[in-house]
Amino acid sequence: MATVKFAGIVKNFKDNQVLKKVDLEIKDHEFVVIVGPSGCGKTTLLRMLAGLEEISGGEIYIDDTLVNHLHPSKRQIAMVFQDYALYPHMTVEENMSFSLRLKNAPKKEIKARVAEAANILQLGKLLHRMPKQLSGGQRQRVAIGRAIVRQPKVFLFDEPLSNLDAKLREEMRVEIAKLYQRLHSTIIYVTHDQVEAMTLAGRIVIMNQGVIQQVGTPIEVYRKPANLFVAGFIGSPTMNFIEGTLRVEKGHVRFSSPSLSLDLPSKLLPADGSHEGREVTLGVRPDDVCAGREAGKNCSQKFDSVLEVSELLGHRENLYLKTGDLRLLATVEAFFNQSPGSKVPVCLNFDNMHVFDRETQARISA
Amino acid sequence: MELLSSLYEVAWFVFVVAAGIAVLEGYFYYHFKFHDRPWFFWAGLAGFPLLAWLGLGAAGLGKEGLFAWLFATEAVVLLFFRHIVKGRNSLAYLLLAPAFTGLALLLVYPFVFQIYLSFHDLKLTTIMQWKQTGTLPFVGLRQYYDVFTVPPLAEAGFFKLLGRTLWWTFVNVFFHVLGGFALALMLNNDIRFKGVYRTLLVIPWAMPQVVAVLAMRGEFHSQYGFVNIILNKIAAFSPFLASLGVGPVQWLSDHPLTTCMLINVWLGIPFMMVVILGGLQSISSSYYDAADIDGASYFQKLRFITLPLIKPVLMPAVTLGTVWTFNNINVIYLVTGQAGGTEQADILVSALYKAAFTYNRYSYSAAFAIVIFLILFAISVFYLKTFDAAKEAR
Amino acid sequence: MTTDAIRAAGAEQAAAHRRKKLIKYALIHLGIIAFVCVCVYPLLRIFSVSLRPGDKLVSTDLALIPDGATFRSYWSLLTSTHFLRWLWNSLVITVATSFIGVSLASTAAYAFSRFSFGGKKAGLILLLSTQMIPAGMLILPLFLMIMKLGLMNTYLGMIIAYSVSSLPFSIWILKGYYDTIPRSLEEAALVDGTSQIGAFYRVILPLSTPALSIAFLFNFTTAWNEYLVARVVLFSSKQYTWTLGLFELQGQFITQWGMFAAGSMLVTLPVLAVFLYSSKWLISGLTLGSVKG
Repeated sequence: MATVKFAGIVKNFKDNQVLKKVDLEIKDHEFVVIVGPSGCGKTTLLRMLAGLEEISGGEIYIDDTLVNHLHPSKRQIAMVFQDYALYPHMTVEENMSFSLRLKNAPKKEIKARVAEAANILQLGKLLHRMPKQLSGGQRQRVAIGRAIVRQPKVFLFDEPLSNLDAKLREEMRVEIAKLYQRLHSTIIYVTHDQVEAMTLAGRIVIMNQGVIQQVGTPIEVYRKPANLFVAGFIGSPTMNFIEGTLRVEKGHVRFSSPSLSLDLPSKLLPADGSHEGREVTLGVRPDDVCAGREAGKNCSQKFDSVLEVSELLGHRENLYLKTGDLRLLATVEAFFNQSPGSKVPVCLNFDNMHVFDRETQARISA
Repeated sequence: MELLSSLYEVAWFVFVVAAGIAVLEGYFYYHFKFHDRPWFFWAGLAGFPLLAWLGLGAAGLGKEGLFAWLFATEAVVLLFFRHIVKGRNSLAYLLLAPAFTGLALLLVYPFVFQIYLSFHDLKLTTIMQWKQTGTLPFVGLRQYYDVFTVPPLAEAGFFKLLGRTLWWTFVNVFFHVLGGFALALMLNNDIRFKGVYRTLLVIPWAMPQVVAVLAMRGEFHSQYGFVNIILNKIAAFSPFLASLGVGPVQWLSDHPLTTCMLINVWLGIPFMMVVILGGLQSISSSYYDAADIDGASYFQKLRFITLPLIKPVLMPAVTLGTVWTFNNINVIYLVTGQAGGTEQADILVSALYKAAFTYNRYSYSAAFAIVIFLILFAISVFYLKTFDAAKEAR
Repeated sequence: MTTDAIRAAGAEQAAAHRRKKLIKYALIHLGIIAFVCVCVYPLLRIFSVSLRPGDKLVSTDLALIPDGATFRSYWSLLTSTHFLRWLWNSLVITVATSFIGVSLASTAAYAFSRFSFGGKKAGLILLLSTQMIPAGMLILPLFLMIMKLGLMNTYLGMIIAYSVSSLPFSIWILKGYYDTIPRSLEEAALVDGTSQIGAFYRVILPLSTPALSIAFLFNFTTAWNEYLVARVVLFSSKQYTWTLGLFELQGQFITQWGMFAAGSMLVTLPVLAVFLYSSKWLISGLTLGSVKG
């Protein structure tokens, strides 16, 4: 098992820089998920580690060995592709044993390793089928099995679940989590789905426009997003953003926007003179918009809003609220018995409120 | 026994080709690999020409000045790799090398040789000199002058042939597209036996052309061909039609060009039909549904939906068809090519073929070929330009 | 109106509609059948002539199965001419040509499909523009080259003349097919431990058998049906390909008509079978090429 280190990685496609000096260290046995919107460079980073993409600048180490110019097969990695990339002209067994056959491994060993992987993934009955005869989930498992057979130092997953339907995706997610517990090897997993990232990762790497935005455990990136982008990307439904200006008043900071003004506690943002007149964005998750409740402990003063639409999701309910010109989304326990157009008192939970500087986009609150 | 030895000869040839490719690949491989090493430059400059010289000498191809040529070539190759190609994309070039060497030797070189011939004088009287010494008298532009002033065959001159060629091309392509369109429209319905019809309709295209043309030529025989037999029966059956002039025709002797056209139209319709049918099937039926709701008639649908949407498929096919028809020697030569055959049906390319191989006027026909090529080139450029313009207008 | 009346009116309308449709389809069938007759009749005629007994070779009879039908023509074709030898000559030349052509095309197409390199676009344009060169134009220089190499009247001369003629088209077809194979398959193979060439050889080539066979068939039929080059390179009757042989038989119209027809049937049927079997792929390749070009 192994560590992976990216040092100052740069990638240029013609005039377009898709990776701008990426630094990242991945520890042994770690499950790291790289997440970001499409085109952020996450897949390129993974493919560079696999040796499928040329490196324009910087260095990649696996276990302290520089692998920049190593052939993919010499890097002791295994990769699960988005479209699985099962060889259509080989049976499941031949697919899984291909790398070992290339190495001229003894037949006995090949058989044993394929059997073991098949056992882990319950592929025993499918070994003599062709990929065409398999369902999407089965193909996915074969692709993972092919990776396991290689006994690599690092597993690379490139959006492995994006071709599956929603239900199967959930099942495979659990399977991959179980697999990690069993193999306990280093895994780097690329996805654009933040739910996958939150549920699978030991550590999440959030990327945007070729730059790493934040690295941290799922709870860290959820509770303490480093900047506006992370705050907006992680969490579903997405965070409410309120644009406004800060004023320093005696002992505390006051946030004001055309539709809403709030006094922020010093716990959230100390009354520092430098905040005077600063343009900021206030971020509150829908869960922390407390609707139908008077102001209480750790909560802002109450203000009134109008319920525009409510959506019942089952155990939760989404409320689309409007205060002045400001639209807010609140998620509350079902059933919130109010009809559209009615007045709803709202307060915002200070415990999970974030203040972002509009200019630097960084979080300035505690 | 004779068969076996011929087989052996062919197998040996294939082996030589493979070996040649291996040598070529190895040669380029080392140039890619060591292009920036100083020692390789000098070693290559000394080694490769020597090896090639020895090899060619052993193969009996050595001649005076060969070594100098090889040496100069190698220097150019080395410098080329060192400063221009470098080590980049070596694999791609190595994969391309055999095919493009083949194209260079058997397509580009003959083309250049053709140009060389057109400025010299190779004919039956000078061919022995060329065979022995490899040199030919230089005549400058005289061959080109002759192309326009001396008829290539016994009678028709260049401009008459050109006119006939354009007429031939226009008539053929017109009927190919018309027939192909009609058939494709009929076949594009949800009818029974569609697959069977389609299969039977492509038979003229699927038959070996030589068989098809020769058989049809036989059927245009004035006495025993079925065309005249049928015409005879019609005339006998209905005196009225006979009075209008329906009756047997001396196809091959009186109307050779019409005969060739009839045969070629018959041959070319299936291709157009298949291409157009493919295009028609790719048009989504929802357009027609929408037009139906808007109240469009059959011909309005044809005019405003089918034609514009089929154009991207039709235009390249028509361009291709035009070039093929323009260049069609097969039909005309097979119909009229026997000794003593008529020359009234000849178009430019078939005249070229006959001038070269029936009259043995090699250099003249080389110049003739270059002129034809230029005409065709102009036509293609014109076609592509209008096609591009149409594309942009959309 | 009562509901019955409405229903009756509706039924009448439906019947009228059905009648109209029936007439339309009848017309379509008639039109197509007329064309089918024109397309098929000449072939049937050849068959009919090939069955005619020797004393009635020429007749003004239109019956498809002639009186006293016999296979005599086939028999005399096989025994009294070099027909089998002609077929053999064609076969050897054609197979060698196709083999060389497809081998060269398969690697070149791979380079065009998977790599970006200087001159790629120029190379593709060169390939397309070779299609503009009149086929008849290169016969003369090729003929002179073959003469100079002393390969007149030999298989080798023919193979050399044929081998690259279908190359551009084959490269084009194969490139189109390779383009549809996902790159991730080769990448998986690279990760599994093959070289780039190994990935081509072990993954791409086996997957491309349909396209390779189409390219092979295309090379094969082009060379198999070729006449004009053979006409000038081969001059002894024993070395003839079948196209030359049939031309010779047909030239002596009256006397050899039956044998010509018999030979035509024998070469046409296999070609027809192969063509109809492969036409789906061949046509999709053709239209692909033409649409892209």
